[in-house]
Amino acid sequence: MPKQIRMPKLSDTMEEGRLIAWRKSVGDAVKRGEILAEIETDKADMEFESFAEGTIAALAVEPGATVDVGTLIAVIALPGEEVADAAAAAEATPAASPAQPSPAPAAPPAAAVVPSAATASPAPSLAPPSPVIVPAAPLQPALQVSHVDDGRVRATPAARRLAEERSVDLTELDGSGPAGAILTSDVENYLAELERTEPPKDGPRATPVALRMAEELGIDLDAVKGSGPASRITKTDLLDHSKNEAARIKDREAELFRGAVQLSQKRKALIRNMVQSKAEAPHFYLQMEVQTDSLRELRDRVNGEGVEGRPRLTYTHLMIKAAALALERFPEANATYRADEHNIALYDVINVGLAVDVNDELVAPTIKDCQGKGIFRLVEEANELIQRARMRKLQPQDYADGTFTISNLGMFGVDRFYAIITPPQSSILSVSAIEPRPVVRDGKVAISTMTTLGLSVDHRVMDGVKAAQFLAELKRLLEEPEELLRDEAGFGD
Amino acid sequence: MTRLASATEAAHAGLQIRRLGEIAYRDAFELQEELRDRHLAGRGRDTVLLLEHPDVITFGRGAEAGTALLSEAGLRAQGYDVHRVNRGGDVTYHGPGQLVGYPILDLKRHGRDVHLYLRTLEQALIACLARFEIAALCRPGFAGVWLDERHKIASIGVGVRRWVTLHGFALNVNCDLSRFAPIIPCGLEGVEMVSMESVIGVEVALEPVLRATAEELEKVFA
Repeated sequence: MPKQIRMPKLSDTMEEGRLIAWRKSVGDAVKRGEILAEIETDKADMEFESFAEGTIAALAVEPGATVDVGTLIAVIALPGEEVADAAAAAEATPAASPAQPSPAPAAPPAAAVVPSAATASPAPSLAPPSPVIVPAAPLQPALQVSHVDDGRVRATPAARRLAEERSVDLTELDGSGPAGAILTSDVENYLAELERTEPPKDGPRATPVALRMAEELGIDLDAVKGSGPASRITKTDLLDHSKNEAARIKDREAELFRGAVQLSQKRKALIRNMVQSKAEAPHFYLQMEVQTDSLRELRDRVNGEGVEGRPRLTYTHLMIKAAALALERFPEANATYRADEHNIALYDVINVGLAVDVNDELVAPTIKDCQGKGIFRLVEEANELIQRARMRKLQPQDYADGTFTISNLGMFGVDRFYAIITPPQSSILSVSAIEPRPVVRDGKVAISTMTTLGLSVDHRVMDGVKAAQFLAELKRLLEEPEELLRDEAGFGD
Repeated sequence: MTRLASATEAAHAGLQIRRLGEIAYRDAFELQEELRDRHLAGRGRDTVLLLEHPDVITFGRGAEAGTALLSEAGLRAQGYDVHRVNRGGDVTYHGPGQLVGYPILDLKRHGRDVHLYLRTLEQALIACLARFEIAALCRPGFAGVWLDERHKIASIGVGVRRWVTLHGFALNVNCDLSRFAPIIPCGLEGVEMVSMESVIGVEVALEPVLRATAEELEKVFA
């Protein structure tokens, strides 16, 4: 049979390859070891050699196309085979389908098998003398063999011709010949059976196989055109119909969309992380309202001192410092669950990530080793990171190794929300808008500036009580904020 | 070719490292082909050529129109040599201050796996960069060595015939990055080329990088 040439697997990790150029054209003779094509995978160009000798019957892939490993890319007619027949065989094979593992690899991949005289099958007298391919390997019991291989039905040439004359869909038949091949007697038996099961005159005319299949798949036979004997609907008609339907639905869906946004590598990583987080880390959520009057006073006082060379304080900076202090006091909140080792690992460092939006891209640069650092040191490091993030100058290490994250949507007027934990961290703080709100003080309604802190927690690492204590400590630090300045060396001199 | 013959050759067990100094693209290519043919004839020895090229722009088989911002004549007018070559990848610039490596290896001895080969090359370069305290990484689907998604420090492009490799890598050590200007490296828009020198911020000489690269390659392709 003609040799089918498929996209080779040049690497264990290769899934698709790009055909850069053909070195041979249809009709060219090819020898073993001659270069057929150049194939690119990743940044490697491979010259692809022929392992068959014969004539190029068909090239199934255009130069420049990228196809899956195993996709049929060319057909070579072996010596003695007609190029046109081989090309036709190529057309009968769905061009884009990757090679499936053959259901019975031991069976000879014969498309046209003429049984030898030794077998009990009747020798088909109509069989043409060529092509005759006698399998070299011993035949396997027919039971193990599907008579459909690579989308092509195994049948003797005589059976194929008879089927064509009588419009028989060969995929509906089980072959009784060697290697499951369909014989003329199989086609004759099938036709006789079909005549016995003439369908009602008023209903849709379909073969018994197609009727069964339509029922299983819920296909309306009235919508299908029959190409079988006496215009009866066959299995292939149904398959073609489903394929067309699927294509129509896809086209209709395509009309719904204006276009598609290609994802950056960062976005893909984010999608992976967030899905992993929600799937693996059982989240629970706590919320606390925080009065921020004192925090604002402190910020305005410090910024008003106008010390030269000292950066200005913002709420975000104070949040980072408060989080670092609270994490220092609650090591359980600065930890990660290790599924492989079934334990909770406590981090030795406090690295606070800050979720930042840069031109619609979310990045979380990490302020490293916050433990024991004074607030202005943290401010400088945070400012430097944020500035580099804005300039898209972050290096991979700048957003690696976070142990806790702060997400702030306050500037966008968000009242309260819960962020998703960044794996492998175990909690994330959601900071909302700081705004005047009515509060009850001494039994009276008063106005205070407030914000809402949301804490999303991985339950595997922390329970509700511990998380509540951690959040309460954060709240206390923000409501009595003098402590945030305390370990600033030289402050107040 | 007299120049090639006079190049220093250091013999090592397994992998042979040959230092060619600065050499024209065509001369180095002819030597690569010669070494490859020796491999194909069964008389080859795994060899890495380490060298620098004078300014040259090469177009790989994957090159698409528009990736070079100038015509071939325009490029020549600006002092670039121009070549079309039979390797994967797109448009590449080579020039002084860039360490170019051409491993001519028989992959039948190294796993018969094209991707594995690319990844091994990348890892050797990453290990070399780590010695200079540069944290680099490889990116699935984008061969080469990167600092992050936008900054690339080394390019990779190889050709393979009967499992024997041709072409290789180019590591930016202290090259003039403005010389990349006429091309979009490897057809990737928005990618910025960096060099070891531009990343570290102090002068980096080629010699220690060459030696480190040779050692890392010897480790993986012994």
